[in-house]
Amino acid sequence: MGGAVISGVVSEGFSSVLRGFQVIQTHPARLVNDFTVAASEGAALVNAVAVALIGLVLVRVNGVKLSGPTVAGVFTLFGFGLFGKTPLNIAPIMVGVYLAARIAGKEFRDYSIIALFGTALGPLVSLLAFELTEPSAMQLGIAMLGGILVGIVLPAAAIAMLRLHQGYNLYNIGLTTGFLALFVAAVIFGRGGQLAGGGLWNETPSMMLRLLVPISSAVLVTGGLIGGGREALRSFGRILKLPGRLPSDFMDIESIPGTLINMGVMGFALWGYVLAVGADLNGPVLGGIFTVMGFSSFGKHPRNVWPILAGVILAALAFGKELSAPGVILGALFGTTLAPLAGDFGVVAGVIAGFLHLSIVLRSGAWHAGIGLYNNGFAGGLTAGLIVAVIEWYRSNRTRVKPARSGSISSGGKRSS
Amino acid sequence: MNRTDFVLHLIGEIAHYILDAEPMRMVISLHQEEDGLHLAILDSVPRDENELKTIRASLNNARRPELAGYYGNMAGYDSLGAARLNLIGWQVKGADVNSSDSGTKIDLWLGGDRFDPQTFSIPDSGEME
Repeated sequence: MGGAVISGVVSEGFSSVLRGFQVIQTHPARLVNDFTVAASEGAALVNAVAVALIGLVLVRVNGVKLSGPTVAGVFTLFGFGLFGKTPLNIAPIMVGVYLAARIAGKEFRDYSIIALFGTALGPLVSLLAFELTEPSAMQLGIAMLGGILVGIVLPAAAIAMLRLHQGYNLYNIGLTTGFLALFVAAVIFGRGGQLAGGGLWNETPSMMLRLLVPISSAVLVTGGLIGGGREALRSFGRILKLPGRLPSDFMDIESIPGTLINMGVMGFALWGYVLAVGADLNGPVLGGIFTVMGFSSFGKHPRNVWPILAGVILAALAFGKELSAPGVILGALFGTTLAPLAGDFGVVAGVIAGFLHLSIVLRSGAWHAGIGLYNNGFAGGLTAGLIVAVIEWYRSNRTRVKPARSGSISSGGKRSS
Repeated sequence: MNRTDFVLHLIGEIAHYILDAEPMRMVISLHQEEDGLHLAILDSVPRDENELKTIRASLNNARRPELAGYYGNMAGYDSLGAARLNLIGWQVKGADVNSSDSGTKIDLWLGGDRFDPQTFSIPDSGEME
């Protein structure tokens, strides 16, 4: 992260980056507003680091272990700090989740993961504060209140959503925030006049942005190898056999060095994919790759991700879409939220999931006017919910009672072999 | 989540795990006191030491309040895929896993910070069976 700040400041100068950072705080944040063009690349990087640092502080202050889910949370914060999250728009949501914990009689750390990921509703705060009317102190107050209110509702909704897909959608908060954003958009735009989504997309990212992922990936792989040597590689091999269903903390189940290698390998792989299809390595795409790298400590690995990617590619070809088109490339990167379906039910289920995912994600953003930043988590949750329901129905109706594993039992209750 | 719901979901998840092994017999016994409770689960499936070790490790996870408070709520709800003992492990005070005469016995201890499983008055294993 330090490297990102230094490269941002060095490339553009401190005062320019500071001005850009200020611009980002008041800029519309709904999907898709690429902060690398809304202000500048350096300012977007500084904003991303600031957002990620807030997440890290939240984790440390609450005494939460820095492990798979928290690493995923911090990487996701960094990634979305390039296109939607700002310190200003995430703070009220975290306060809301804190209040929810107090209401439920829990400690804030019990909901810390919800607080990290729940910041996907940051664009709501920016929308209320800066987009709907002329900015004013009162409007800012309303925006803060709106953020706090959705933060209070988040834990209840997030827990309910987990049960819908049973842990097969890694971005569960994406489903939750998308679901909440439907109601929020309906209320805000109840009198008509819905705003269109954002349309800022950096088509000429600099070399600094293009090299961010391979450098980060190299650091992760090197760190894993130094920390674990050959055992780290064996650990990485074992990670590839895990289904990845929520919650799969690879750092806990396997090892930290093996997980670091997995994160680095995933970074290299998806960076290569983006280059291969000719997509832009801009804020949103980098956000997608960093999110996947983060979740490579918490459910994703090459073996359960590739079938999803294959399904997305098939859908794009079937629908006549360019693989480098913004919606498609983001669908390919973030669609890997469905990796556990491939991990648990096999390649065919994964390909079908990827296909269905792209079909719906290209439409679902408009439903909530881009207010929920994890639109792919929303679409992925709907897809996972459907697939899980069908598999569950099929299995429950086809399953027959099998012979018991340990012989029969006499009428007296004693087992005889 | 109130105490009844909490216990129901833990029982659901552990029963899921036991039933995945297709036992001929499963007995779940609950003993509650003000500060905590004890769940004893017995089945008819003999397990080797490696299996017992894996179960022990899953049920005696380090306490992870950030996972228990969120993902722990999936315990007892999911019917697809394998049962996940770590969902239980994050939420219990401790667990004993041993071979019994006819299979496996799992003891789960739940309670607040004041709860001391060592002084908990439960029937001994003979009475339970």
